[in-house]
Amino acid sequence: MKGENTAAPAPAAAARPGPGEGEQDGGSAETTLLVRRPGPGERDPVRAHRRRRAIELSLALAVPAALILLWQLAADQRWIDSRIYPAPSTIAADGWQRAADGKLWPDVWATLKRVIAGYALGTAAGYLFGLLMGALRMVRAALEPLLDALYVVPKLALLPVFLNMFGLGEGPQIALVATTVFFFVWISTMAAVMGVAEGHREAGAVFGAGPWQMFRHVLLPASLPQVLVGMRVAAGVAVLVIVASEQIAANDGLGHLIFDSRTLFQNDVMFVGIVCVAVLGVVFSELVRFIGRRLTPWAPRDRGRPQS
Amino acid sequence: MARTPSLARALLTGVTLLGVLGSLAACDAQTSDSTGTGTGAGARSKPRPITPVAGCAKGWTDPSDRSAARRPARCEPGAPAPKPLKKKTKVVVSASTLTAEYLAPLRIGVAKGEFSKEKLDVEVKLLPTPDALPLLAKGDVDVQYAAPEAAVLNGIRQGFDIRWVAGNFTPAPGSKSGFWARLRPGETAEGVSLKDRTVGTLIGKGSVITYPMEKVLSAHKADVDSVRFQQLGPAEVLASLRNGGVDAAWLLDPVWRQVDGDAGYAFLGGQPRGEPLGGLLFGPDLLTGDPDAGVAFLRAYIRTVNTYFAGDYKKDRAFLDDLGDVLKTEPDTLAAVPSLRMDWEIRAGTVDRLQKAYATAGVVEGDPLPEDQVVDRSFYAEAVGHKP
Repeated sequence: MKGENTAAPAPAAAARPGPGEGEQDGGSAETTLLVRRPGPGERDPVRAHRRRRAIELSLALAVPAALILLWQLAADQRWIDSRIYPAPSTIAADGWQRAADGKLWPDVWATLKRVIAGYALGTAAGYLFGLLMGALRMVRAALEPLLDALYVVPKLALLPVFLNMFGLGEGPQIALVATTVFFFVWISTMAAVMGVAEGHREAGAVFGAGPWQMFRHVLLPASLPQVLVGMRVAAGVAVLVIVASEQIAANDGLGHLIFDSRTLFQNDVMFVGIVCVAVLGVVFSELVRFIGRRLTPWAPRDRGRPQS
Repeated sequence: MARTPSLARALLTGVTLLGVLGSLAACDAQTSDSTGTGTGAGARSKPRPITPVAGCAKGWTDPSDRSAARRPARCEPGAPAPKPLKKKTKVVVSASTLTAEYLAPLRIGVAKGEFSKEKLDVEVKLLPTPDALPLLAKGDVDVQYAAPEAAVLNGIRQGFDIRWVAGNFTPAPGSKSGFWARLRPGETAEGVSLKDRTVGTLIGKGSVITYPMEKVLSAHKADVDSVRFQQLGPAEVLASLRNGGVDAAWLLDPVWRQVDGDAGYAFLGGQPRGEPLGGLLFGPDLLTGDPDAGVAFLRAYIRTVNTYFAGDYKKDRAFLDDLGDVLKTEPDTLAAVPSLRMDWEIRAGTVDRLQKAYATAGVVEGDPLPEDQVVDRSFYAEAVGHKP
């Protein structure tokens, strides 16, 4: 909120000279002083911040809630065919029932296990390769063209290859997630390490830092915020790719639930699966963001009030 | 300074949304969904007049006859004669494949102009069954060449106007399309135990294949709960059976030829010899919107069967070449397996048996639907002039 401007007469001596003021006849004319009252943000920054956060939170809750209510209304009024697009209440009731009956959790857990395992493997490998390739020019020269070529291959197209390599079971699913995550983390890590300012490296060298100290005290803190951005993007993509993969070659998991219910023309169950995937994706992504903030308190925040 | 952590905010958002949904769910429990129950109008309200049709004196068999030796209903070649509609009518047909041999009467009928003689403009679209079914229910697709799968029954149970109006085929006596198992050392076909084995399937437990598969499983000390089903793509089924990824699989024509004669594999059974399990599904457009077009469609289809597929149609090399052209398949590949017995009739009780199998497999819920809410024989009865 902007402060109000008020025109107030003031002695000429107290006025800040304005354009052309020097040409005025000294003391013969009153000078108008524009005074800007401090806004609420300046008078009470804590309160203003809380107010803004409350508005943001309200919007974040109200917009999805309004959309859900609109969807419900459309279904109730038969603007849409609720047999093909089930009402949110039907989805919620069905989801609740499936959860209460214990039918939902095995699929959620199956997907979660694959995501966590693949994400952990892909992140570790991506970080290692990114670090080495960002720090060592020769390693970068040797591997970058190959990894660039593999990066553009649609990862789902690798599923038959992984099926041949690992057979039927968890192996292909985990490998697919790991491969997808690897590229996001590798690229962000390599770019982050290469982007560490030369001055920081020189400072480390001046203090006689060895390779480990250089990594621990210079490269890691400087690159971690950007690496974590890559990891957060990869978290969402990991959920996306596992759901697609489970539709093709799995006997459980949320992707299989969606595909199976679609095959059986059970649209309410299909939407339960879709909602679960959305919730899983948001929670997993936010969890990575939360951990990232705890790990990098020095990094600028990507949301909310900037650090002072 | 107090901050709202992002995770906490995400959880708060989730809790609020769940709260909204929970409230709606509570409301939903108190009100009935008028659009989600019932089984639709489907069947035509008034019976249409049926008059005898020349050349179709043997165009009907007793639906309760399921014997393997049963001869399918046949009219004379060229019968029933065309009765062109008053105006040209477009009919959209969907099928999940355009190259399968069981689709041949439809493809040949279009190619030979049998549908045009009825003033029908038939457009065949390639659509996977799960994608086509909602379109059939909405009326965007008029005919689906598929089967009364669990999805179809679920759709009818939800109130969609869909009916199974014609059969497709039964396997020839020499066919070994069906359930094949990889034998372990010392095992024989009769002694195979399928308990705890992995079975590869193309579609899953909601397919009509579940019905004959259950029969095979029960004959081999197993049931749908004691085997693991592994869903696979068409290209992977045989490869998985061969490399040990699955212990058994349902092999279609002509894939089974590749393991036939190999002592390491055994054919355990297939589709019942006298009972079609698939065929044509009509949606609301032809069931109630324009039943004349529905009858005309089946008349053309049945005439095609009588004219081109009455017997062992693969004996005729010229016709085999035509068939290869429309199905985009090498004639020699088609000739490698016996001719199908095209059969437009639907046997009595097939739907009940399918529903029993689906219920055992856990892919349908609720009470079984009565046959007359799934099957409508009146279209082909009118086409061949038979009063049931």
